[in-house]
Amino acid sequence: MHLILFIIFAGFCLAGAINLLLQTHPINSALSLIVVMSSLAVLYLLLGAEFLAIAQIIVYAGAVMVLFTFVVMLLNVGEEEKTHGSKAAKIIGFPAIVAAFSVLTTVILAIQNKLGGVKLSDGVTPMTELSTVLFRDMLLPFELTSVLILVAILGAVALARKEGHR
Amino acid sequence: MSIWLFLLFSILKVAVVTAIFLGGVAYTVLLERKVVGRIQNRWGPSRVGPFGLWQPMVDGLKLFLKEDFIPAGVYRPLYLTAPLIALGCSLLSIAVVPFGSQDITVHGVKVFELADLNIGLLVLLGVTSMSIYGIALAGWSSNNKYSLLGSLRSSAQMISYELALGLSLVGVVLRTGSFSLADIVKAQSAHGALSWNILGGGQIIAFLIYITAAYAETNRAPFDLPEAETELVAGYHTEYSSMKFAMFFMAEYGNMITVSCVATLLFFGGWNSPFGHLFPEPQNIVIQALLALFWFIIKVFFFLFLYIWVRGTLPRFRYDQLMGFGWRYLLPIAMLNIVGTSLVLSALMANS
Amino acid sequence: MNTFAVNYGNLFSITIPETILEVVSLLVLVVDLGFLRKSTQPARMTAACVLGVIGSVLAGLWLLTHSGTASFAGDALVLNSLVAAAQIGILLLTALVLLLSFQAEFSRNPGEYVAIVLLATTGMMLVAAARDLLVIFVALELLSLSLYVLAAFAKSSALSSEAALKYYLFGGMSAALMLFGFSYLYGLTGTTNLNGIAVSLASQGLSPLVVVAMVLVAAGLGFKVAAVPFHLWAPDTYQGAPAPVAALIASGSKVASFAVLVAVTGSLIPAASASRGATWIVLLVWMAGASILLGNLAALAQTSVRRLLAYSAIAHAGYMLLGIAANTPQSGAAVFYYALTYALTTVGAFGVIAVVERNMGSDRFDAFAGLSRRNPLLAASMLIFLLSLAGIPPLVGFWAKFNLFAAVLRAPGVGAWGLGMVIFALAASAVSLYYYLQVLKRVYVVPAMTDEPMAVSALEQLVLLVIALLVALLGIFPSALSGWIPLG
Repeated sequence: MHLILFIIFAGFCLAGAINLLLQTHPINSALSLIVVMSSLAVLYLLLGAEFLAIAQIIVYAGAVMVLFTFVVMLLNVGEEEKTHGSKAAKIIGFPAIVAAFSVLTTVILAIQNKLGGVKLSDGVTPMTELSTVLFRDMLLPFELTSVLILVAILGAVALARKEGHR
Repeated sequence: MSIWLFLLFSILKVAVVTAIFLGGVAYTVLLERKVVGRIQNRWGPSRVGPFGLWQPMVDGLKLFLKEDFIPAGVYRPLYLTAPLIALGCSLLSIAVVPFGSQDITVHGVKVFELADLNIGLLVLLGVTSMSIYGIALAGWSSNNKYSLLGSLRSSAQMISYELALGLSLVGVVLRTGSFSLADIVKAQSAHGALSWNILGGGQIIAFLIYITAAYAETNRAPFDLPEAETELVAGYHTEYSSMKFAMFFMAEYGNMITVSCVATLLFFGGWNSPFGHLFPEPQNIVIQALLALFWFIIKVFFFLFLYIWVRGTLPRFRYDQLMGFGWRYLLPIAMLNIVGTSLVLSALMANS
Repeated sequence: MNTFAVNYGNLFSITIPETILEVVSLLVLVVDLGFLRKSTQPARMTAACVLGVIGSVLAGLWLLTHSGTASFAGDALVLNSLVAAAQIGILLLTALVLLLSFQAEFSRNPGEYVAIVLLATTGMMLVAAARDLLVIFVALELLSLSLYVLAAFAKSSALSSEAALKYYLFGGMSAALMLFGFSYLYGLTGTTNLNGIAVSLASQGLSPLVVVAMVLVAAGLGFKVAAVPFHLWAPDTYQGAPAPVAALIASGSKVASFAVLVAVTGSLIPAASASRGATWIVLLVWMAGASILLGNLAALAQTSVRRLLAYSAIAHAGYMLLGIAANTPQSGAAVFYYALTYALTTVGAFGVIAVVERNMGSDRFDAFAGLSRRNPLLAASMLIFLLSLAGIPPLVGFWAKFNLFAAVLRAPGVGAWGLGMVIFALAASAVSLYYYLQVLKRVYVVPAMTDEPMAVSALEQLVLLVIALLVALLGIFPSALSGWIPLG
């Protein structure tokens, strides 16, 4: 049951990701990204991380991507213009990516039996446990992240604000 | 219990709930027309059937039989999916709502809840946040400036008020210590109305924020700018006709019902009677179940009535007022409510 | 050593300097946006910068008076004399950058500018002290994000936007790679703590996945220190970013990144097994060699002083990577010494560039022509900075290089590559003298187009002279810093 769900949503995820690259219209790409994110949420759920799953939906699929589509709509971006790019990117880039992927896959396949496995299960991490980790063991990174977000807000406001006449 | 029995029960429950839900939607429309009519000193629909009770059926039939017209300039794939997303999200969110006590089971299957989730409340928020896409894509794919303006307004409005909405629920969650809607109701069952979150729980501010933000989330008056007919024709569904229009219509009223259900569950003790244990509990389990359902429906009805009452009496906001109100007042007050609630709770915990 | 468990009280008590910076940065915002809205632009900039300088000086004083060793949350954050030296150095560099920003006119938002500089400094200080993958990553992101924003701060300049965008895209990519590598390390060892990783890696055999993880981590950290082949952002960013920001990117950020690189190296090369260490060392040595070669050769071809400094920064990163690859306590200390003194010198050089740019509107070689006649003090400072960068005795750059190469040669494990690489680095720094002299030739030999004196504010002149004096004095008394940095 879990395996079937995993395969279905992993498939969705990959299909969405590939579609994202192939689509030429920005809004279709954005929607494909939503599919990817929602499928990821299901995968998290299958691993028992329910809070992570729903946070993924609310924050990424719900809020971040809405802003994406919002911007696309506001700008009314048309079909993507194809730049032909540099030849070098095509000649070196694609083989390099293929090589990198094959190296990674070979490496992981080679030591497959040494690595532990993960069970897809109904087991769920209770949220109390999660908050204990987050607010006690990970207090420093947590607080640091809030400073990080403060910088992001400051930066966004400072960079987006209109400069008056000098 | 075998998986087949479970599946059978689940499908049955889904079918029943969907049917009742859609029926509720139809009759909420009628209720609205009637009540708004009375507020404006007229009768409302009264010709079809006794008191106009067949009106929703006739309306449905009319919408169904109308010509389904797709304008030439639309972006077809999204134009066709948008109503589906809107209605789908609306129907989906009712799945986590418990209508009655969880103790009532048949063969181990809970009768009054489609899905019992630890994170029910968060799922509701998640579905709400996804439902923005229905409206946003409808407006954009229609290729009409009024539609686009309506959908932009609505996306901005929903994102802004979603924050206040989510934060207003935190107080309740803090008090219960759980995101499960059933647990939240159980925590309010001790002393009848006195232990409801709105009174005994001290969450009345949170309730007011919730109900305000929820009206904005469902694009209802006085926050119905996305479809303000004086400015935008009909907003995001200007270019929709027939069943596709009906789907948006049903989604809107479905969302109203869900919001009313959630308000009932979170702040008004769900299916608990307001009298607590003043009266002896009936022994018969069927009567118990029906009584719970009765209280639940009464409360939901009250909130639906409130929706309509507000629509009939309050003027519409201006757009900048709407945004200013959400960000400058609702959000800070919601945060203060969280701080206050957690201080009180920690003081209580320190005492005990 | 004091060990602190995790709670808000301990977190606060161990991060008081960082907290001071954060509070001051909020204060700057409040003052600038609350009280000074109607004031003139220079007044706002002055107020913000003064507050910022006070903040960093306060934090620095706290660090100076509260020395000692401590560790927080099971070594997620440590304090010892080396970390304290790095942090004080970072604070000093920030204060200098802010002092040099008084005259800057690139932004209409001085409050945000100073606030983000201070928050970036917080990030740098935490990066230097962090010993946990998660903290390292978040602190590095805090640092990087602030710098991306700062690089774009000159909104009327297209170059600035280009610089920020290139920096941001490369940075985002390399951060993703690094996080990927971290996730493998965590998966393989089950801990994010650097000590724990060292122990766990020592007990398991060298698997190819460890190598993959190391390569990915090297990509991320290599970007931060601008080592070849992750250097492509450096020239454009150094050229386009506003001068004080470029100075910050070239100084404080480098010190922090090298500090974390030293820490990570210590955990990826457990002393017990040489075989595993080899992979990481080979990576570092290759990056070092490539950086030295490419940095110095490309610098030869530059006509813009900023780009020249960028390529020379790549070369210097190469030297320092050699020291890290040697992996002894002495070489680690030598890297700290090198990074701090190099950063100090670079801030000075960028200060001079800022003045010249303001007067001439360009940082090309021609703009520097006849500087010695137009402003002898400025020219003398530039002379000291560039000679120190080239490693000419008795300036501090010489001692930095000397200590570093000596530490590399003395390290037990360097074997075959040690001597070869040091000779190569020495040869390369001889080459580097050529391009530094190219600039100095413009400053002292080539006649100026005009003879009018170069306008420079008294404060800038003073700050640049102080930096130049520091560079010279540290060179004459090379053991002045040995209280903090035990060069052994």
